[in-house]
Amino acid sequence: MWKGFSHLLKKDVKMMLSGKFFLLALLSLILYSCYINFIYVNVDQENCRVYLYDPNNLCSAQSKYINRAHSRQELETACSDRFSIGIDFSADPPEIYMLSSGAEKMDRYRVMWGEAVLTELAEEKPVMVGSYVKEERSRREITAEFLFFELSAVGFLGLASVLFKEKQMGVIRVHGILPVSKAAFILSKLCVFLWSDLIFSCLLTWMNVGISDSLAILPAVLTQAGILSLIMSLTGFFCAVLLSDFKQFSLFYLILAVFASTPVFLAGQTGVSWKWLAWHPMHHLFTAMKSAYFGKTAASFPYYLVCIGAIAILFYGACHILAREAAKEG
Amino acid sequence: MVLVDYDCCRCRNIHSVQSKVSELVEQTATEKAKQQTWEMGGRGMITVKDLTFSYGKGKQALHGLDFTVDDGEIFGFLGPNGSGKSTTQKILTGILTGHGGFVSLFGQEMASSRTHDFFQKIGVLFEFPYLYANLSAVDNLKYFASFYPKQQARDVFELLDQLEFKKDFLKKPVSSYSKGMRQRVSMARALISNPRLLFLDEPTSGLDPSGAVLFRKIIQEERKKGTTVFLTTHNMVDADLLCDRVAFLSNGTIAALDTPKRLKEKNSSHQIVIHYLYHGKRRERQVDALELEKGLSFPHEEIISVHSQEPTLEDMFIQYTGRGLS
Repeated sequence: MWKGFSHLLKKDVKMMLSGKFFLLALLSLILYSCYINFIYVNVDQENCRVYLYDPNNLCSAQSKYINRAHSRQELETACSDRFSIGIDFSADPPEIYMLSSGAEKMDRYRVMWGEAVLTELAEEKPVMVGSYVKEERSRREITAEFLFFELSAVGFLGLASVLFKEKQMGVIRVHGILPVSKAAFILSKLCVFLWSDLIFSCLLTWMNVGISDSLAILPAVLTQAGILSLIMSLTGFFCAVLLSDFKQFSLFYLILAVFASTPVFLAGQTGVSWKWLAWHPMHHLFTAMKSAYFGKTAASFPYYLVCIGAIAILFYGACHILAREAAKEG
Repeated sequence: MVLVDYDCCRCRNIHSVQSKVSELVEQTATEKAKQQTWEMGGRGMITVKDLTFSYGKGKQALHGLDFTVDDGEIFGFLGPNGSGKSTTQKILTGILTGHGGFVSLFGQEMASSRTHDFFQKIGVLFEFPYLYANLSAVDNLKYFASFYPKQQARDVFELLDQLEFKKDFLKKPVSSYSKGMRQRVSMARALISNPRLLFLDEPTSGLDPSGAVLFRKIIQEERKKGTTVFLTTHNMVDADLLCDRVAFLSNGTIAALDTPKRLKEKNSSHQIVIHYLYHGKRRERQVDALELEKGLSFPHEEIISVHSQEPTLEDMFIQYTGRGLS
């Protein structure tokens, strides 16, 4: 049954080449890397500015991060950007003045930073977060997010578009009477997309985290990338076979993007936390991917068990719906 | 009883008419012998007994079909849309599972025969030309041929040449082909593996008359090689010219099964219309076929044409099923 596997593989690569899939992946790689290297790492690197209003010169701190305000009004104006922190020493006890950024977690960090500046703790290692310098952390974070997006959204679309083409051409029906197993038909597609996604993951990590730093995290990153790639490709396969046309597929894709991925990205980017996110499968995949980039082994045994189970169920389902598709009318 | 059809033929004397009648009597006798062989059982390539299939509650598509297809036979399966012929073909090709009754192919029951080996022995031409539009005819055929053992697969170029495929288009993508060209490539795909059992669904659809003649010739050549052909069609000309036997399918049941000739004969009025000249005037006379064997009993100067009143296969289909084919 597996005799024709190499021919299936060759054909799928041809299909992907003709569909400009690799070109699209290359363009995404360049775009993400340019954004990370030329834009992202240069913004948001500044620490929160700390404004001090101390008319009676009660504060002895001499940190270079402190900006003096000459009036309460000046302090309030300076803090209106919802980023800066104001400390009013005219009040007794001294008050911290700041406008909320909208994220509770972020506001707590701002307060901690303000206090650190006042107590001159920030003078020693002002930009260290965890064991990474801020730029390094930013690079890893954004690379993890882009990779997650690429694999979950673009990978999903990629396999579905190839399959939609085959479905429209009717060749799926021809495979129903060929001496080759349906599992091989699905597996060849998965292999091509898996390899493509793994190469993409390697290149994206090397280009944005650095070659030497990548070496330590790549095994974990590739594991997560492989899991995500398989799950999303199989989901794409399912949708492409079950949905009748590309319009329906686009609508489904929109729903998936809005309702499934957005909360996960929001939580990851803004620090917003919802209890129900613990039940969101994408959240766990996203967290595992981020953890992999920070060299953590957050993913547990049950996580891997669920992932393998999900892949097995999706694969079995894909074989079943493929047989159904082959029996459909022309 | 013998019926003759000499449309557009001008017979100079009655003796030539009588010799043609004798030839047809012999031909019919051969067909009768063939029929008797089938009735006795013969070597069944396909055996179907009480075949049922349902697409769900209240959606019974097949209501107990019974037929056998002999090794090397061309068997026609005729029926209007929704009669169950596609469902039957899908069951026989192993695409559709979950049927009731007994189905055997190559002497093996369907449930156990749907193996790698089974798919190597069958060739299927679908109603529509399913091909990779971005690949050329050659690449498509090489790809499909790659799933069969090398010694079994036919030469791609030779096959396309046999199908009179335009050489300029060999390396061009299928998306640039006409419907007829796609149908030729599809036929080549069905034949590429030298199948022992060939399922053809509307093989001459989308072909011009010369293409249809070529396809019929190829189908007959396949039969000569010993290939069994299961032909599903709406085309009465194809069925009449190619099939050894035809089955009329209606609402999931077989309404009639016999050779095309016998089906027509059974329902013939056995009348012959003769156009002739007498005293320089064109005249017409209807005579009984038996009467003709004794010679022409009426005065005439020249026979212009002899028309049998034999019904067409389509007439028979309508008579048996009460429905047209479209």
